[in-house]
Amino acid sequence: MTGPDAATATPAVGTPVATEKTDAATHGLGVSLPPTDALAKAQGTYPYAADLWAEGLLWAAVLRSPHPHARIVSVDTTEAAAMPGVRAVVTHDDVPGDATHGRRVADRPVFAGDTVRHHGEAIAAIAADHPDTARLAAAAIQVEYEVLEPVTDPERAFSAEPLHPDGNLIRHIPLRFGDPDAVGEVVVEGLYRVGRQDPAPIGAEAGLAVPRPDGGVELYVASTDPHTDRDLAAACFGLEPDRVKVVVTGVPGAMGDREDSGVQIPLGLLALKTGCPVKFVATREESFLSHSHRHPTLLRYRHHADAEGRLVKVEAQVLLDAGAYADTSSDALAAAVAFAAGPYVVPHVFVEGWAVRTNNPPSGHVRGEGAMQVCAAYEGQMDKLAAKLGLDPAEIRMRNVMATGDLLPTGQSVTCPAPVGELLKAVRDADLPPLPVDDDESQWLLPGGPEGAGEPGAVRRGVGYALGMVHMLGAEGTDEVSTATVRIHDGQATVICAAVETGQGFTTLARQIVQEVLGVEEVRVLPSDTDQPPAGASARGRHTWVSGGAVERAAKMVRTQLLQPLAAKFGMSVELLTIADGKITSYDGVLSTTVEEELAGKELWATAQCRPHPTDELDDTGQGDAFVGLAFCAVRAVVDVDIELGSVRVVEMAVAQDVGRVLNPRQLAVRIEAGVTQGVGMALMEDLRAPRGIVKRPTLTGYSLPTALDAPDVRIVKLVEERDVVAPFGAKAVSAVPVVVSPAAVAAAVRAATGRPVSRLPIRPQHAVAKPQQV
Amino acid sequence: MSTYARQTAQARNVALPSSLEEAVAALAAMPTAVPVAGGTDLMASVNAGLLRPAGLVGLGRINETRGWQYADGAALLGAGLTHARMGRPDFAALIPALAAAARAAGPPQIRNAGTLGGNIVTAAPTGDALPVLAALEASVLLAGPQGNRELPVSHLLTGMDPLRPGELLAYVRVPLLHAPQTFLKATGRTGPGRATASVALVLDPARRGVRCAVGAVAPVPLRPLEAERWVASLIDWDGQRTLAPEACTAFGEYVAGACIPDPLPGEDGTPAPELPPAAIQLRRTVAALARRALGRALA
Repeated sequence: MTGPDAATATPAVGTPVATEKTDAATHGLGVSLPPTDALAKAQGTYPYAADLWAEGLLWAAVLRSPHPHARIVSVDTTEAAAMPGVRAVVTHDDVPGDATHGRRVADRPVFAGDTVRHHGEAIAAIAADHPDTARLAAAAIQVEYEVLEPVTDPERAFSAEPLHPDGNLIRHIPLRFGDPDAVGEVVVEGLYRVGRQDPAPIGAEAGLAVPRPDGGVELYVASTDPHTDRDLAAACFGLEPDRVKVVVTGVPGAMGDREDSGVQIPLGLLALKTGCPVKFVATREESFLSHSHRHPTLLRYRHHADAEGRLVKVEAQVLLDAGAYADTSSDALAAAVAFAAGPYVVPHVFVEGWAVRTNNPPSGHVRGEGAMQVCAAYEGQMDKLAAKLGLDPAEIRMRNVMATGDLLPTGQSVTCPAPVGELLKAVRDADLPPLPVDDDESQWLLPGGPEGAGEPGAVRRGVGYALGMVHMLGAEGTDEVSTATVRIHDGQATVICAAVETGQGFTTLARQIVQEVLGVEEVRVLPSDTDQPPAGASARGRHTWVSGGAVERAAKMVRTQLLQPLAAKFGMSVELLTIADGKITSYDGVLSTTVEEELAGKELWATAQCRPHPTDELDDTGQGDAFVGLAFCAVRAVVDVDIELGSVRVVEMAVAQDVGRVLNPRQLAVRIEAGVTQGVGMALMEDLRAPRGIVKRPTLTGYSLPTALDAPDVRIVKLVEERDVVAPFGAKAVSAVPVVVSPAAVAAAVRAATGRPVSRLPIRPQHAVAKPQQV
Repeated sequence: MSTYARQTAQARNVALPSSLEEAVAALAAMPTAVPVAGGTDLMASVNAGLLRPAGLVGLGRINETRGWQYADGAALLGAGLTHARMGRPDFAALIPALAAAARAAGPPQIRNAGTLGGNIVTAAPTGDALPVLAALEASVLLAGPQGNRELPVSHLLTGMDPLRPGELLAYVRVPLLHAPQTFLKATGRTGPGRATASVALVLDPARRGVRCAVGAVAPVPLRPLEAERWVASLIDWDGQRTLAPEACTAFGEYVAGACIPDPLPGEDGTPAPELPPAAIQLRRTVAALARRALGRALA
């Protein structure tokens, strides 16, 4: 790695990371180009999906099940349909196409037919001329339920009656790697539980469906995967996919899949039935009930190590609660099983992983799925081993870290940069935040907050470490492909790509790539819709990789088209010409012209695809080259715990991350801060409680998210820029891995502060109270 | 924020009186209307579809209840005082515990809108002002079509003497004690949150009393009267008013045990069931809060 200082960012001090660009550069790669929509978002003028309007629109409302498990005896909509102002009612019987849909397995009905499988499942939808009318009419639908006993304990799902024709076992992976009879000198066991985190997008689901004169329908939704959503919706509408168009409107935050079944299919059905535009805005309660959550997980671990603390064998059982429908649970399970031992060298690994169906709220894609849950468990085990061997927690990790060339338990060798030891060293050696010894006591921010009950004498500080990894792009043979078009005209460039800007910064990155390749400053990125070629889901960092790669290739093709005639005229190769600030110059300075002059009013277009190397499915012993790339992160958490009240404040999170290459320093820092904060939420407060399958308090009062007071100082101590040769620009995705590692780091720090085992996330106050004798 | 809420409001009857008298008259004219001050709880219920008031009487324009005045050694607090106003230093010099509770009551947006009267009338178990008012033995002044009346706040909160139809909460009378007061709240997080338990403790040197109330552990604030009397008897009121740390700890245990009592044995002679772990944790929290509250009041 060149220039160690170049990879060190300290956003707290406000100095952006300097990379190859000089400070004067204002565009291109490696510069902190601000997003174009930032001002509009800050001023509140940015149009989100909930702001959509069409002349003569109707309002939709959805009737949802109050029971987690019930047989539907009858649905009587006559009274609701007869209410003045009601224009259409749709139920299970009104779905013209496929009655079920799903991202991996089509097992989820559009509307519950004869069985309700989770609290809040949609049963009918209404279109009316006023939102209140629609909601009242939805409430007037008579549904007769025969309430059934819900299966809410995932361990009971194996023996329970099938909740679905597909059965209760969604996937089972028995991973076998190495010698089952190997034993270590030291053995530690642990049982860990991870709660149900909600992606809690700050804007609830919303959308507008507009019927088309040709019998098709246009869906204006905040989709993160427009082409998949279009195909799912079209199949349910009984239409050809080209008759359905999904137009992506302002996405108000996305930590997982957005605006899937719950919004667009009922909307489209109502628009097709009434012939009018139909709008739907979910309430916060509906949003919590209907979208996918992080898989609640139960993990049993047994770690074997030798006397020096080197890992010998890891045995694990991982049970994912998938909720009522499969969704992307098989992907989450693959990640959980493959990363069950963490970024450590373990010669023998045996994991049994299951994803099972229950009557709990649905689980699906939330970033870092699978990897986050196992990280909390294997890092808990590493702390236990350290305690048993009397080793420093950082030291025992250092003795086991993986590096490039090591094998994952899936038999795949890690070919990408894996600077795990370097990351750990960076967080271990970073200065600890000072104790507030000399400050005025009244100014201390103690656990419990500024007006809380915190007392300095009862506060203990703890430091904890965690290492983790996540895969980038879809795994197990998913065709990860993206297509982008670049056009240059009048000295400016336009990018057309269906990759959705969810706030992750893709449009900014696309502008930077085109600026870099074509040397023009003004680059526009057009909004996404399904008339454009598919770019795939905004998830698992794929747009930085595949869509960024496609944009780069298309831009390079345009560059060649632009420069070829010039090069031919002057008898030099295209490579000897450079474009910067709209000027074309040759290496010897003889030639100097502008892009605009050279274009002479012409437009140049090019379209290119990026498709990374293919991957394999995990076989029946969990073996296979399933992942395209991996990203690693090390976090050191420093927490203050009031050991009498059990309140925890995260003081600082020091992060060292493997990023490949910094493309936009400020955006990168923001993504890491956001990921760490989401991880701290998972560690301390975020858990959607659903006792007996009924979601309790599905509001932002009942479901706590980290506020500015809960969010820690995030200190990026090191960004390791070792380029991943197979990735475009050598850059790795950065958003997911801090989410994976941060909860485990907070748990480790609370363990250090309290001496309690901390085996459950989120950490409740009763688990962070020191044993009475320690007070 | 919700499109639903905006359209709902247009269709309803709304009165915006500018004096208490007009408000009482407006309520008498529209008996089905609901009075609304800050609306932080009420409007959330409306948005959630839990409440569909036939009309609203907005209290935001009644200036006379937005401040406070002195009356016979007590402060007469307007029901329309916002939490933000009560949190300011001038108010904190007057009634420190109530100011502390107001500052701890939710995020700034809620504190700017939510009022003292709303906190009392809503009577949520987690209402932060309630244990303070209970400890201060405050009384409420109600204005109604049949005239005004005054009753202890606890009578209103427990439902012993509820609001009658057409009545509005106008003022809260709080005795001025000129002695340390504390309010401590446990939320389990650093950011604003609802209390899992809260303790308000006031010293009353004139009557040589310690008064304490525990909030959020029961539907209404609880007063551990025996514990109060016991600890008051230990304090040297004419001297330094200090207490040994062991006494503070014992007081905490006493308060916690009184507010979260042990389960009683069954009537048929079966032994008492064990206290569930959540209750043990709550008891420990209350004990720690009460110990710290007393320690700080006497410091």
